[in-house]
Amino acid sequence: MAIADVKEYCHLTPEEVEQIGAELDAIRAEIEESRGDKDAAYINRVITTQRWMAAAARIGMIVSSPMDKKVRGPVLAASTISLGLAKILENMEIGHNVMHGQWDWMNDPEIHSSTWEWDTGQPAEQWKHSHNYIHHQFTNVLGYDNDIGYGVLRMAREQKWHPVNLGQPLYNALLAGLFQWGVALHDLDLEAIRKGKKDPKEMKRQLKQIAKKGRNQILKDYVLYPALSGKQWKSTLKANATANFMRNVWSYLIIFCGHFPDGALHFTEDELEDETRAEWYLRQVLGTANFEGSRLLHVMSGSLGYQIEHHLFPDLPSNRYPEIAVKVRALCDKYDIPYTTGPLHQQYGQVLRVIHKLSLPNKMTSDDKPPTGVDITVEHGRRKAEERQQRRLELGGWSRSAS
Amino acid sequence: MSRVGAAGPGTLFAWDDGVLVKATVTRCALSRVCGACGGSLARPVAFVGTAEEVGRNAFHAPPLHTACAEDVRRLLDPTWETVLTGGFEFVRPAKHDEDRRPTFVPNSLL
Ligand SMILES: [Zn+2]
Repeated sequence: MAIADVKEYCHLTPEEVEQIGAELDAIRAEIEESRGDKDAAYINRVITTQRWMAAAARIGMIVSSPMDKKVRGPVLAASTISLGLAKILENMEIGHNVMHGQWDWMNDPEIHSSTWEWDTGQPAEQWKHSHNYIHHQFTNVLGYDNDIGYGVLRMAREQKWHPVNLGQPLYNALLAGLFQWGVALHDLDLEAIRKGKKDPKEMKRQLKQIAKKGRNQILKDYVLYPALSGKQWKSTLKANATANFMRNVWSYLIIFCGHFPDGALHFTEDELEDETRAEWYLRQVLGTANFEGSRLLHVMSGSLGYQIEHHLFPDLPSNRYPEIAVKVRALCDKYDIPYTTGPLHQQYGQVLRVIHKLSLPNKMTSDDKPPTGVDITVEHGRRKAEERQQRRLELGGWSRSAS
Repeated sequence: MSRVGAAGPGTLFAWDDGVLVKATVTRCALSRVCGACGGSLARPVAFVGTAEEVGRNAFHAPPLHTACAEDVRRLLDPTWETVLTGGFEFVRPAKHDEDRRPTFVPNSLL
């Protein structure tokens, strides 16, 4: 359904929609005007903390290697946890937000969306395409937003059921544990490759980029650092694998809680092209879910507990989301628009329920989400937003050199 | 930085025969790629536009590499000016806007 047909939205007059847009614009302007040294100090503090945590972990693993087993054990355990948390901070509160351009205004050569490369399998360039563009522009639009199930899980009732979906609980566990590699392949668009729709040149370029990044990640965590621990190389290798696993499961959990709890709606492509700013804002609010928690939980989640605010203003500094959230929530109350939130365990409980229910055909389970519309079925996968460009590609209209 | 020198207007990523393609402009804004060569942006980011656009600090053309900005001016309009910035805001068109194209507002001019 088009955004205008959403029940949660129907009670609004066109003037009210524009009024909401104007109020959100005002929130944005206020943050832009007050953005400054305090915000810069925040991101610098987070980066410094993250680097110390990572360094302490790496050093801990090396210096503990010749120690007695009784001492080595606890040092190794602490180092593993510190490395896991450092990776989580780097990927979530730092990398994800820096690559959105949240800190570009500082004009810092290091903390900039064009230069940041993060500690995970996916090359930054591909993340900026699959996440910043595809997911943030086509949020929860069936057939476009490949984050609806990551091409692996059936997460919307409108996606056709297939017997393969019976294995969803298993695929879900695998996706959680191997999340960095699932994300690494995300922008390749496996569905398009299966259907033979992927431009072979672009695929080759992307695969080369992924192989290079993946190799460096593996070398670092599974060869270089273990080698520095000498005889205890195996313990360091295991510790690094555990830290990566921690980061994988955590980032999977947080990301899945952003769009699959019951209140987050799906949309169809109607009218997408001519959507106004106010309508775009509303689609972001209605397609997204927050979760509640302490300040520490929010920082460790890359501020994605404020997923609604992040989707409204993906390029405003993440440390400002808490104050923005108070205003957005009041706005939603004022206009009687749903603002989906709840404790993390409740939100993830709903995600798990969707995964399990949708492993079965629709007629065997009930729907917990407001329906997207009557008899809507989409094929799995992403409709290419670049299809319009395809014509020009075929004409050799533009080319992109491999970096 | 990955870029190919633009040989003619037909080779510009976000333009079709010298006219901006709205979907590609959005793609450049969000995936943070250059509107001329399609490669990842670098710092600083360049914008090109008329003196009026420079005056209002709001541009229609997507972000560019500094070298690509020169290509775009040469190929499309040599009277355009170039500004450099650390970052930019991407502003989607509102219903009441007469001009229904998104704009870019540099937020840290150099
Ligand atoms: Zn360029």
